[in-house]
Amino acid sequence: MLLNLPLLPSAGGFPLRDSGTHAAGSPDVRLVETDAGPHLFVVGGSRVYGLTEDQADDFRAAMAAGGEAAARLLADAGLDGPPAIADEPPTEMPMRSLSLAVAQKCNLACTYCYAQEGDFGGEAKAMPPEVARAAVRRLLGECPPGSKANLAFLGGEPLLARVVLREATEFAAELARDRGVRLGFSITSNGTLVRPDDGDFFERYGFAVTISLDGLGDVHDRQRPYKGGAGSFARVVENVRPLLAQQRRMQVSARVTVTPQNLDLPQTLDGLIGMKFHSVGFSPMLASPTGRGQLQAGDLDAVLAGMIACGTAFERRVRAGERYPFTNVVTALREIHRGTHRPYPCGAGAGYFGVSADGRLSACHRFVGDAAGDMGDLVDGVDRGRQQKWLAERHVHRQEPCRSCWARYLCGGGCHHEVLARGRPACDYIRGWLDYCLGAYVRLLTARPDYFAAGNP
Amino acid sequence: MPSLDPKNLSARLRYRAAGNPPTTTPVSAIANCFPGLEFDFRNLWRRIFVGIILHEADNLVVGVEPGVSPTIAALAGKRLVAVNGVAITAAVTGPQVVGGPVTQLVPAAFLEWTNALADIVTRPGATVPCTFQDDDPATGGPVGPATVVDLTVRAILTEGAIARDAVQPGELTQSLCSPWQNDYRECGCYYWAASRPDYVNVDTTGVASTGHNWLQKDRDPAVKDYFASNLITYEELFRNWPGLLRFVVQGNDSE
Ligand code: SF4
Ligand code: SF4
Repeated sequence: MLLNLPLLPSAGGFPLRDSGTHAAGSPDVRLVETDAGPHLFVVGGSRVYGLTEDQADDFRAAMAAGGEAAARLLADAGLDGPPAIADEPPTEMPMRSLSLAVAQKCNLACTYCYAQEGDFGGEAKAMPPEVARAAVRRLLGECPPGSKANLAFLGGEPLLARVVLREATEFAAELARDRGVRLGFSITSNGTLVRPDDGDFFERYGFAVTISLDGLGDVHDRQRPYKGGAGSFARVVENVRPLLAQQRRMQVSARVTVTPQNLDLPQTLDGLIGMKFHSVGFSPMLASPTGRGQLQAGDLDAVLAGMIACGTAFERRVRAGERYPFTNVVTALREIHRGTHRPYPCGAGAGYFGVSADGRLSACHRFVGDAAGDMGDLVDGVDRGRQQKWLAERHVHRQEPCRSCWARYLCGGGCHHEVLARGRPACDYIRGWLDYCLGAYVRLLTARPDYFAAGNP
Repeated sequence: MPSLDPKNLSARLRYRAAGNPPTTTPVSAIANCFPGLEFDFRNLWRRIFVGIILHEADNLVVGVEPGVSPTIAALAGKRLVAVNGVAITAAVTGPQVVGGPVTQLVPAAFLEWTNALADIVTRPGATVPCTFQDDDPATGGPVGPATVVDLTVRAILTEGAIARDAVQPGELTQSLCSPWQNDYRECGCYYWAASRPDYVNVDTTGVASTGHNWLQKDRDPAVKDYFASNLITYEELFRNWPGLLRFVVQGNDSE
């Protein structure tokens, strides 16, 4: 896993029903009404409390009367205090995670690809080995002994640059050992070029392998064809099957990009979990370079319904004591249980950067080649001025309508890349999903407290 | 309104019992924890060895757990002097007066637990030989022949939290600082010293220095009386700290 990825991988984050400011509601609290009794979500510090029916009535009345009454009631309950998140952006964020665009080219022609068939709308490029090594040195040079870091390989299709990928991995593992840094590796691949010896290699270095699969059979093939038009599903499954059987240290997960063409999420989830992927997650496509494959407002209701159906299946399995690795809900429950609260959706431009084939740093893998997210280069390191400006401007307290949204510290304001490209068309979806997850949290905490024991989820 | 029931980890961390001020939550704590204003973490060490209960700030066995063997029961009242062959006391040497000769001041002073047990705390479940001697009431140190008993190291942290059987309810707060009493006069971690000068208007021209001691009873500026017998005592502080310390309340010295 990349460090600090958002609760909803690469989608804007999460969900609710009414957007922006809420006439009857409060930016500080949210009532979670479930059959496990009424609960309160306190936005500052992402805290969850159980309420008696009387307390719930008080909060319902206060929220109907508006945000100020709710804030007063919070103070009465002793839940006020200094703000959990300051207005000031963090300074001197150390680099802890890099993704290398080792191959800015691809053998597929996915309809919605942010990298526009792999080359980011430019010339196809491959990362020279010395650039990969410089990136590794830059990352590990900023990590003190004992710290944790992550090196990710992305593209295009990173396995088009297998030699550079392996060499960089070996070099990084050795350097990390020397420096006492706990370095994790990850790769996101389309799966069409995976060979059995790749499995051995990923296993040896404990890679988190993410395979992009958009559905079963035809559904996948329609979205992820080869450049010549033929479908890629059969080949991917054939290539990946040995890896699935082989996973010990390595974890092989599936990521599904959701477009208007593959909205049957429960079927996809069940099918991919059945194939023994370590976990399966959905990323709604909110902004593609051409607009093709982008979800529209009406589609998002269907995505939300599908996500909730998947979540409900997850709850059923967990209650029965079974494993059902639906990434989106597992991550959300973990973050809600911890009470994660943050002013950004992810670590992009903070501790995480993308590296282009020619050695430029960008705010993340999606900003490769995009001036909006340029962060300097490998030679001189992160451009601290640009980074500080980015962190100041992207802070959720500076975003509208996020400042008054109850989901702001879970969502973080939505994927920067999507927001800059398309604004915030998915807030109802995000809040709807988060509302569901808060309910699922309360239900499972009541029914299966053991699920939240340390080390789990 | 009665307290809401905290459910997730961030809510539990911010838990504030009804009636308690905001300073009672860890996030707003002063976090001086030795002995501590909110918690005294030294108490984590009291039950580090299964069967015996140690003093949080001394190597004395203050009790034993119910149902222990006669060998362990016999350890009550003794002093623990070595663990796994490593001494947990040390001789203290130094001059008695400035520039004086170096002599042995204390033959076997206790090294506080965090350092003394750093080696074994990471090995919960291990059995280690522990050496005990009798307590010498005259010196407060160990005396007599050594007894070696194998004891099991208890986990004091499990799953990132304090282990349930390592401290009993109330133990973490049973030995807090008493800032306006003992600890104001003689804080072991020199915390309070930072907020008031101890000894001022010092004249070092003579053999020994003279100056105004912050605890001298005679507050006349002409008197520089820093002899122990003329300073405010613990008992006087217990009985009348607001009067003796003369806090400034609303701009005025309190009486
Ligand atoms: S925080 Fe911002 S982007 Fe996220 S749901 Fe709320 S309004 Fe939308
Ligand atoms: S900005 Fe980049 S890292 Fe952050 S959520 Fe968007 S795509 Fe992911």
